[in-house]
Amino acid sequence: MRRRAGLQFILASAVFSIAALCFGSAPNSSSLPKPQIASEQNLAVVVNLSNPVQNLSMPELRRIFLGERSHWPNGRRITLVMMETGQPERDVVLRDICQMNETDFNNHFLHGVFTGEVFVSPKTLATPVGVRKFVFNVPGAIGYLRVSDLDSTVKALRIDERGPEDKGYRLHVPPRSSK
Amino acid sequence: MNGQNKRARRRTLAGPAALLDRVLVLASPYNSSLLLLIVFLVVVVVGLFVIRDLHTTNVEAQKMYAGSVLGLHRIGELQYQAQETRRSTFYALTTNDSNLQLEYADQSREADRRVNEGISEYLRQARMPREIEVGKGLQRDWSDYLGVRNEVLASILEGSTKEAVNLDLQGGVPSFERVRQDLEEIKRLYDVQASEQLANVAATSRRTVFRLIGVLGITLALASASVWAIQRSKMLGAIQLAKLQMEFVASVSHELRTPLTVISSAADNIADGLVGGKDQLKRYGSAIQNQCRQITELVNQILLFASTKDRKNRYTLRPLQVSQIIDSVLDNTAELVEGAGFAIEQRIESGLPSVMGDLSALSQCLQNLIVNAVKYSGESRWIGISAFVENSEERSGKEIRITVQDRGIGIDRLEMPHVFEPFYRGAAVSAAQIHGTGLGLSLAKSIAEAMGGTLSVASELAVGSVFTLRLPIAEKQELQMASVNSEPDPSIRK
Repeated sequence: MRRRAGLQFILASAVFSIAALCFGSAPNSSSLPKPQIASEQNLAVVVNLSNPVQNLSMPELRRIFLGERSHWPNGRRITLVMMETGQPERDVVLRDICQMNETDFNNHFLHGVFTGEVFVSPKTLATPVGVRKFVFNVPGAIGYLRVSDLDSTVKALRIDERGPEDKGYRLHVPPRSSK
Repeated sequence: MNGQNKRARRRTLAGPAALLDRVLVLASPYNSSLLLLIVFLVVVVVGLFVIRDLHTTNVEAQKMYAGSVLGLHRIGELQYQAQETRRSTFYALTTNDSNLQLEYADQSREADRRVNEGISEYLRQARMPREIEVGKGLQRDWSDYLGVRNEVLASILEGSTKEAVNLDLQGGVPSFERVRQDLEEIKRLYDVQASEQLANVAATSRRTVFRLIGVLGITLALASASVWAIQRSKMLGAIQLAKLQMEFVASVSHELRTPLTVISSAADNIADGLVGGKDQLKRYGSAIQNQCRQITELVNQILLFASTKDRKNRYTLRPLQVSQIIDSVLDNTAELVEGAGFAIEQRIESGLPSVMGDLSALSQCLQNLIVNAVKYSGESRWIGISAFVENSEERSGKEIRITVQDRGIGIDRLEMPHVFEPFYRGAAVSAAQIHGTGLGLSLAKSIAEAMGGTLSVASELAVGSVFTLRLPIAEKQELQMASVNSEPDPSIRK
């Protein structure tokens, strides 16, 4: 049984590696914040209203988004909510928080699940509304939304003591394409 | 003694019936209208009760519908939405697609919002303590269930299916069972209320039926009583009229027989040659002449009365001086008055205005009053005639009043309403064998009314009577027209 799982992992890694070679991978992002372009919006990291956490540092956020932390201080299990591949919000999270490209991120979770280093697997939702509803329904959920998509059903976290509306906030997302 | 007892018993038995007859006779001019009015009022009153009952039944039925039928419908909707809340939560278990799971979560939350609204509505309408208690219990239990449901949903969305199922089995099932029981209890309360209201409707409906039967019964009874009373009153009226007519015939016969006897005796004596000498013959002739005049007067009175009743009489109205009328009356009655040894005291106001009337008719009217005064004055030999102007009580302006007063036997208070009825003769008058037809006053009143006036009487037993003839004063226009037309104008004929 163990041998079979190992084989599956090797096969999956090979498939992802080939895919990464075919489509090309983004270079690792710098840890320094990028200057915000005028038309960009801030991207808020959101949690359930019942979550006692108000602020996270960027390294903590990275650990959470990489599934390396399983529970919140109140004991609730962390559920990671991601948007579908190709969404600018997801790209920003991968680049600025996880500091990975799509392939690395997928590989990380595939590998982590098999090795037991990753405790959560991200839930993928199609729309910001879905993300918002998910976070509202699941007390341990954490996701991300453009500031314009925020409402009172979720709570936006401060990152490194800066809220999404504050100057010097580090997560910016390009405007939505009109189509 | 035995005979006295029997008579007393007969009097007792006859008492109520006689009283009823007396009441019917007194009320005879109005009884049919009165009884119909009573029937109408009773029917209206009981009808109002019936309408009130029907209204109450309607209100009860509406309350039953609003309170119970709609209530049961609401509870049915609550049950459905509660099930929908639970069902949608379970649907989320059937997929791994988080987007679809969220849709089910939304459906579940929408259903639970409707349940909360339904519970709030129920609590708003709850009146009885038990209803409020159960409603609050339901609110509490539903809140408990929603707590579990939220955890179950969270677990499902997290992907912990097993945990979700365990949570539901441990917390969801028992709390939802409590909700179900609460809803059943509310349903039972609605059933009880519906039964009570149905019983109320049935009771009101029964009462309405009884009242309707009562209304019909009372109406029937009163209608029968009315018909009976009307028939009885008509019969009594007819009997009374027949009696009066019999008395009239007897009276007229008597009035005719006396002069006829005198005439017959005088004629016999003349024929038998018992009357000798010119003086004696002249006396006999005078007697026959007087008696013939009496008969003629009697027949004229009867004919006049008949023509008045048939409304065939026509009067020629023209301006008349009051003194002219009174002089005419005194001339016509001078022989009677002087013959009976009466003194007439006149008090005629000077400068009295004219009245519109028929001289002959008005003379006849006042003549009848003076003849009556002579007849019923008893030992007193005094008659007072006065004429004056007075403010009219019935119409605006002034009127002429002519009174004929005597100090005679007077009229009983109970007989006063009947003295102007045709053929009516008072009991005391009949007992005293004072001759008369009972037409004089009736005729006088008819004439007075035909002239646009009235005739009334005030009297006291053993003190005397005062008859007052009220006549309207002739207006300027009438006087001018009368002066223009020397001949009586046919347009002012009555």
